[in-house]
Amino acid sequence: MKSLLAALALTTALTIPGIATARPVALTTTLNNYGGDGAYLALYVTDADGAYAGSLWMAGGKSKYYEHLTDWYRATGGDPAQINGITGASVGAGRTLEITLDLADALFDAGYTLHIDAAVENMRDSPNEVAVPLTSEGADNPVGGRRYVASFGYSM
Amino acid sequence: MKRTLTLLVASTALTAAVGLPAWGAMRAMTDGITRPISAIADAEREAVPLMFISDDNDDDDDREYRRASFFGGDDDDEEDDCDDDDCGDPARNPAPAGTVSPPQNGLFGSGTPPKVQVN
Repeated sequence: MKSLLAALALTTALTIPGIATARPVALTTTLNNYGGDGAYLALYVTDADGAYAGSLWMAGGKSKYYEHLTDWYRATGGDPAQINGITGASVGAGRTLEITLDLADALFDAGYTLHIDAAVENMRDSPNEVAVPLTSEGADNPVGGRRYVASFGYSM
Repeated sequence: MKRTLTLLVASTALTAAVGLPAWGAMRAMTDGITRPISAIADAEREAVPLMFISDDNDDDDDREYRRASFFGGDDDDEEDDCDDDDCGDPARNPAPAGTVSPPQNGLFGSGTPPKVQVN
């Protein structure tokens, strides 16, 4: 009986961290009615030192336009491998993009910042359109962007 | 008298020998000039109707130019003819969400595909 209890405790202790290391996080981006074509958006994360840590989402499927997402492109060289499986269509003016991702807990309250670069045809590029620290307190507190993003928020 | 007659015959023969080929060449040149001019006149009389070589190109060139000037001078957009470099090398574009797992960059907890919605 005692050994069974010990085995149960051990398996529970091993399983719970595995379950708790990630959680679904909803990222909601609403664009202004800027009066142009669909916007390309790059959502990516930098660490506490400001170094590129990875991409979360790419709105816009044609790699030839990625150079207009200037900060993201500088960090990645436009490498498609960075965004394989996390790429969707560009987002029209006035539309809301809702993405739900299974994100690592380690991203929150650890100095990471989520950035959005934006670009629209025939309009100005907007690197670092949004920059928000990923914290537990920051959840459900939308912020505005500089040019094309009316609001961005994340919820856990 | 005989000598004078001989000189006259000789000069006539010389004139004919030199002058006839020259006169013939001048006629040929004259004909060569007048023939194209008459051909133009004939062409005008026939009045060949104008016709379009191709009229099935619906591209809006002005709009295309406008786009090209923004997106790096390229002449392509997402809906137009497949005449850009991506058409020949689709591997350069990333894999869309749901077709492969998210990248192993440490940001994602598992290989769960993202859910996306645009309203």
